[in-house]
Amino acid sequence: MPQEGQIRKPVTAANAIVNAAGNASQTQAAPSVEYQDAAEGLDSVLDDIESVLENNAEDYVNHFVQKGGE
Amino acid sequence: MPQLRDSRSRISMSDLPQADPSLRRIFGIETEYGISVTGAEREPDPGTVAMLMFRPVVAATRSTNTYTANGSRLYLDVGSHPEYATAEATRPIDALRMDAAGERTMRRMALDAQELVRSEYGANARVHLYKNNVDSAGHSFGCHENYLVRRDIPLSLLGRELIPFLITRQLYTGAGTWAADGSFRLSQRADFLDDAISSSTTRSRPMINTRDEPLANSDMYRRLHVILGDSNRSQIATWMKLTCTHLVLCILEYAVHHGLETGLQGMELADPGKAIKIVARDMTGTVPLDMADGTRKCALEIQGVYLREADRFVREHGDDVALDVADAPECLELWAKALDSVHFADITELSSWVDWAAKYRFVQSMKLRHPDLGAARIRQFDLDYHDVANGHIFESLVAHDQMRLMLDDASVDAALDTPPADTRAALRGAFVAAAGKTPGCTWSADWTHVAASVDGRQAETQLLDPFDPTPTPGYERVMELLQAAKTA
Repeated sequence: MPQEGQIRKPVTAANAIVNAAGNASQTQAAPSVEYQDAAEGLDSVLDDIESVLENNAEDYVNHFVQKGGE
Repeated sequence: MPQLRDSRSRISMSDLPQADPSLRRIFGIETEYGISVTGAEREPDPGTVAMLMFRPVVAATRSTNTYTANGSRLYLDVGSHPEYATAEATRPIDALRMDAAGERTMRRMALDAQELVRSEYGANARVHLYKNNVDSAGHSFGCHENYLVRRDIPLSLLGRELIPFLITRQLYTGAGTWAADGSFRLSQRADFLDDAISSSTTRSRPMINTRDEPLANSDMYRRLHVILGDSNRSQIATWMKLTCTHLVLCILEYAVHHGLETGLQGMELADPGKAIKIVARDMTGTVPLDMADGTRKCALEIQGVYLREADRFVREHGDDVALDVADAPECLELWAKALDSVHFADITELSSWVDWAAKYRFVQSMKLRHPDLGAARIRQFDLDYHDVANGHIFESLVAHDQMRLMLDDASVDAALDTPPADTRAALRGAFVAAAGKTPGCTWSADWTHVAASVDGRQAETQLLDPFDPTPTPGYERVMELLQAAKTA
């Protein structure tokens, strides 16, 4: 088990801070690639959800109406 | 150069409340939950379900407003929103643990209520309890962060140099949602906020609230109430929003206290209310925002400056304030990585702890399988992600190592009735636990006060210093009353 309070799979980019500060100033020049790889690696999660979600999405969503709080 | 002072002025100074030159802080999170029921034969309204959830609380305390043995507040807020306000914590990790204990408490209450709902409204009824910020009709509710700050920090400075940070941090703290037109938002709260700063007496919806109720020495502190944040399911996102905000507040407070420049002078936004909505619609972080000085900067640039200054602050002053920024190195590394990931559009990396990215990635994946995925189904996924009682998506992401956690399960369980040991919450928690076990005891508590009555005998005391877990003589008298009743 990981140590309490330690983030599991810690990030490893040692020079990330420098990169981020440097990149940030160039962002308008550098075109962002599309979020195209986003869909990979989730098959087992998708399988889980296919089998359990309620059928009528419309009905599910419309049941949640609750006046604001705060 | 130190100024020479005569002894008379030193003596008179010591009679006044001393300023707190440290950067120690109290953290707290107030989370409102949303309720719905599906699968029922006839439908209970949210207020009915909320009352069923709170039935055990009412039975034990005759109230829907109580405190728990971990020192946190558990209550039913306006609009029948169950709400959990975490006990005072001096470290973000402790506040996170309290928040996770709150989530677990709410889940248990919802599932217990579900049994009662099923007996009356149909065996297939399911209670959904959403740790989110908006319902399907567009009503919004909140997740408020509290930070104790030194009194000498000017509110105008917070408006100029904290608000731009809070508005752009949604790149990694936003919970994400789909608007009615199907477009994506990084933040659920962005469309519901108008003014940057306001007092509670106005009708506008501010991003931070400056009402003065520090729940501590009001000569030394004020309580900064941050209203613009989303409720996070990701533990790391919850921890990051507290830790990053803490570091920015440290920069501002240290500069004020020492008469230094903050390094954040150019960050003021021309129109915060407009900027927060632009950032919420831009997952690339590159759309330019109008700055007060006439220039334009994108959200990534603004975050890059805050990160750079936070990194510089920790390097230059970390030794002075070591205890107060203990979690900083890990936070800075993750912060930099998050900005990198936004810059390179690496949503897979982001989705391992950023709620909006996890949710967006899930829906994009589902669309590849089901190209005809409808708006209602996407909205259902959106809600399911936040359902702490009967949700599937977040739990599945965790189970398949697609969402990283920060807390051990056992420590969250322990936190259900264990307050942070180094704050006033330790006293309140021990009081609540003892009072609950004392036969015939009537008790009440709030953040600064506990009172008990047993067999016609009464005792009460104030707890004014949130940093002090040491029992006062008044507190000991209250505890002795409970002890005497138990052994009688």
